[in-house]
Amino acid sequence: MAEAERLLGLITIGILAGGVYGLLAVGLSLQIGVCRVLNITHGEFLMLGGILTFTFSQLGINPLLAPVIVGPILFGLGFLLQATLFRGVKARVPSPSAFEGNALLAAFGVMYVIQYLARIRFGTQSLPSQYLTQPVPYVGINLAVNLIVGFAIAAALGIAVYLFLTRSRVGKAIRATAEDPPTAELMGVNTNTILAVCFGLGGLLAAVAGTLVSMRTPVSTAMGFNNTVIALIVVTLGGLGSVPGSFIAGIIIGIVSMLVAGLWESVLIVPVYYAMLMVLLLVRPTGILGKK
Amino acid sequence: MRILEGQGVTKYFGGLAAISNVDFHVDQGEILGLIGPNGAGKTTLFNLISAALPASSGGMRFKGQKISGLKPHRICQMGIARTFQETKVFGNMPVIQNVLVGAFFGKPTHISGAAAANEATQALEFVGLSATSAAPIKDLTLAQQKRVEVARALATKPELLLLDELMAGLTPTEVGEAMELVTRIRDKGITIIMVEHVMKAIMGISTRVMVLHHGEKIAEGTCNEISCNKTVIDIYLGEETHAAS
Repeated sequence: MAEAERLLGLITIGILAGGVYGLLAVGLSLQIGVCRVLNITHGEFLMLGGILTFTFSQLGINPLLAPVIVGPILFGLGFLLQATLFRGVKARVPSPSAFEGNALLAAFGVMYVIQYLARIRFGTQSLPSQYLTQPVPYVGINLAVNLIVGFAIAAALGIAVYLFLTRSRVGKAIRATAEDPPTAELMGVNTNTILAVCFGLGGLLAAVAGTLVSMRTPVSTAMGFNNTVIALIVVTLGGLGSVPGSFIAGIIIGIVSMLVAGLWESVLIVPVYYAMLMVLLLVRPTGILGKK
Repeated sequence: MRILEGQGVTKYFGGLAAISNVDFHVDQGEILGLIGPNGAGKTTLFNLISAALPASSGGMRFKGQKISGLKPHRICQMGIARTFQETKVFGNMPVIQNVLVGAFFGKPTHISGAAAANEATQALEFVGLSATSAAPIKDLTLAQQKRVEVARALATKPELLLLDELMAGLTPTEVGEAMELVTRIRDKGITIIMVEHVMKAIMGISTRVMVLHHGEKIAEGTCNEISCNKTVIDIYLGEETHAAS
């Protein structure tokens, strides 16, 4: 009985934590699916979101309000990256098929620049950024308030993004651009702006995910890459371009990470992710909800 | 009045001139038929007008304004819309959403959601596709997909419409319907350039015809003049008749 309760507790924590992974992955999914950039810097945006949330909290700004500041800052950084670097790379590739490879190499460069600048400014130590740690009793375990609040914010934002993509004017341009940029351009869509908005939106979602992660665990300038890996796996699992798919996959990854850590060994979490990814690429390469 | 005018328009692909020093014009309110054998440069000329490709040299003016060097979305917003030889509908979006993209981002650039929806519905009705409004694109026949492209282009509120082989691959009945559609578009006051291989259609509805061959303009005139032109008969119509026999 105690064992069953423990399992239920782990799964619940996994689901709640997975919502944030879903949010992070939606951002990456936009950058890969629309901008065609395998954005290896995505986790660094999450790191910046978390570190800045902590920094602002030292100045007396409530972490729950931090997204209002870090969101626009990292939207701007993402927008600029696409409007300058990736647009430039695209304009200069010898053939269109070379873009994705060149963009990935450029993104690697950006990743190191962000990582090292952050390290110079904020150091390498873990920063105690947790917030709303009060326990809520739940079937034999305690859930922290930040876990529940984090899930709620991630889900609300995920729904907002979904409605934005399916209902709004800009959302239609984004979907048209994702499918066929030259044709969208010929129908009056300024695709360069749309791509920059998508990249910026990806940065914004990573930043908010960073705030939510910072409420649960200490943040450090070294936390970026692991989160890039998580986002990549979640996007692959959920299928590119599917908001619900990203959230379902995020929750699956959340549950798996809690079960591996709770029942086995937490250092094995990342290898298990990769094993799942390899199997998935063989069995269903378009993801759970991805289009064939 | 000349709505579109091109001078010395040239496009090189590597060393090959796909369009070579072509002077042309389109009069307001006419249907200009653009014909020529495969590889004559008809679609390339459309790509240059709509700025899908940059011209190597030469200049174009639309309603007296220089348009060379503008981005494709600017050309569209100025009032030039097009369809494609190989249909390029947005396959992941239902019919009405395809048309909405045109309505939202064509001309005028800022339009309310309700106005765009109204615009899109009207365009679909105009091309006779109201019934398939919510259908996924892949459920439509080729003829219907081509009409979606026409509706999407019309939703951008063009003054000049470029139709690239609207009738290719259609049945004779569908060709008749397409000809009727093109005439109705012209009657709305929209000037049309149409690339077409279906001679019956070109000769049936064009005000004027321009003939391209190896990227050069070899003839231009009324349907009668073109069908009697010796060079055109030799290199183009003769070839077609031969191919058909």
